Amino acid sequence: MKILFTLAFNSFLSRKVSVILTIICLTLSLTLFTYIDNFRGSAKKSFFNNAQTGDLILGAKSGEIETLLYVIFQIGTPTNNISWKSLTEISKHSDVKWIIPISLGDSHKQYRVLGTTSKYFENIKYKNKSLEFLKGKSFNKNFDVVIGFDVAKKLNYNLNDKIIIAHGISSNSLHTDFPFKISGILKKTGTPQDKLIFVSLEALEAIHKDWKAGVNIPGIKARAKNIEIENLSPKEVTGAIIKLNSKMKIFKFQREINNYKPEPLQAIIPGLTLSKLWQIISFVENILLIISLMVVIASLIGMSAILYSNLHLRKNEISLLRVVGASPKVICQLLVFESFMISFISICLSILFIQILNIMLIPFFDNEYGIYLDYNFLSMDNILFFSLFLLTSILLSLFPGYKVFKSSIVEGI
Amino acid sequence: MKLNNILEINNLKFFWAINEDFKIKINNFKIKKNEKVLLLGKSGSGKSTLLNLISGIIKPVSGSIKVESKELNLLSSSQLDNFRAENIGVIFQQFNLLNFTSPIDNILLPCHFTNFKNKNYKFFKERALSLGEKLNLDQKLLTKKNSNKLSVGQQQRISILRAVINMPKIILADEPTSALDQSNQDLFLEMLFGICHDEKVSLIMVSHDERLKSKFDKSYYIESLS
Repeated sequence: MKILFTLAFNSFLSRKVSVILTIICLTLSLTLFTYIDNFRGSAKKSFFNNAQTGDLILGAKSGEIETLLYVIFQIGTPTNNISWKSLTEISKHSDVKWIIPISLGDSHKQYRVLGTTSKYFENIKYKNKSLEFLKGKSFNKNFDVVIGFDVAKKLNYNLNDKIIIAHGISSNSLHTDFPFKISGILKKTGTPQDKLIFVSLEALEAIHKDWKAGVNIPGIKARAKNIEIENLSPKEVTGAIIKLNSKMKIFKFQREINNYKPEPLQAIIPGLTLSKLWQIISFVENILLIISLMVVIASLIGMSAILYSNLHLRKNEISLLRVVGASPKVICQLLVFESFMISFISICLSILFIQILNIMLIPFFDNEYGIYLDYNFLSMDNILFFSLFLLTSILLSLFPGYKVFKSSIVEGI
Repeated sequence: MKLNNILEINNLKFFWAINEDFKIKINNFKIKKNEKVLLLGKSGSGKSTLLNLISGIIKPVSGSIKVESKELNLLSSSQLDNFRAENIGVIFQQFNLLNFTSPIDNILLPCHFTNFKNKNYKFFKERALSLGEKLNLDQKLLTKKNSNKLSVGQQQRISILRAVINMPKIILADEPTSALDQSNQDLFLEMLFGICHDEKVSLIMVSHDERLKSKFDKSYYIESLS
């Protein structure tokens, strides 16, 4: 009915301050809830995408979460390493399809250096895609290095640029004798790999030839040119990512690793361990979500309270409409329509704010925390939530509507 | 009920459930078509309540009210709303305009609840503009954005137009002149009578001002109707 729209719209304009405040309140609460929910889902997806690769993560015996964090996310420091001998033995197991060793410890300008083999670029996947080179190729010479997209962008590096690796995560002790040449730059993945510097395990072994227990031994100067790194094999690595021939064998193989006699090793299933980690984090995110849901409910009740208290102020208007022939049903429809309009405008504004927040915060979380959030205009969950919100606001507006049904026209005239 | 009666009330009894001291009792009261009737009475004598009973806003405890030969007691709540919109125009003491909407929208308000009586919006808009001209309300004023800066005289005229726009059979006016000075009273009644005559509408107006008696076809004291 056109008159309902005209009356509601003009009535809104006459009460613009309270209507605008209600819309602001609802928009903020909707934006808060939706953004926290989207962030939660997107961050979880981002973390689990990283854990997709490989069936098992191999590390020295320690905490499961600790192993996962340093092998997959390069967070933290391993307490112990795996001997190269054990790794070679495990790699020969008939159930193993491939095994990619990983060695951590060094850095370059706060970016972590990851020693591995060129198989890493062929087999490691993110979001079901293989790693791709933006420029150049994998390391095939002694002191080649492959850098992640963010490293290249932040440090303004290009192919064939030379970089010096620091020992440990501080930049004080530099491996100045061994400059590395950039042979490849990876495409953006939205994973921690964007912030990594990849070198071969052999090169990593070479630059540590004249180091012992983290200290450069004076008097021994191993020049890059003097070292035939093809003949060098690492003595130990930090961990490894294992892919099995069949997923059916994951648990059996895990048990075998955990009972490995020559040295204390452990194998973890990345997805399962990440779920355990997420259970701890989800406590905080659930609290955040509940708080923001409370804000939404409070705003909805606030809107209903404003509609209800406005009935008193609008007694004259409502009674007049009744006298000129509007039925209680029409008045009730008017109130429901007003509530619908307030909620609908709030939802539209909230969608707009979420897009602005996405534009602002996706690069921020990526750069500052390495959390790559997917850009999603509106998820199915968002649509469901907004529909539920709209329905609830309509149901809440039935309270003042019921009051109109019950009240006498005579009161207002 | 003779066909030339617009209103017929028989054995009407009404009192408020919370105040049984207040009573309206009317044995027999009739108004002919096109008559202009003044109902007089002191404050609190039940004049406005009687208008509310005639318009079907409240229901009597017992008795019968027929408007245009229709027994109001037999109508359901929604039928009453519809009947009121179709047949009854109301003018209030405070004129009760919706300030947030234009004068012409105020005038056309009752039409929306009768689906424009099978005519279209344009017909009623032209009717409003043409009736407005008769009452010296030009198109520019009627199509103003809102009605919150209208003078009392303009509000009076718009409330008259709103009461007649839907071509009702009867207009109920609830002390519309009580807040006006003598010259404005005369002007208001002149306009109201003129438009009732042109539109062939009956008028029942309630007032406590006995000086108005001479201007109406008939006048009654509400106390005398019992």
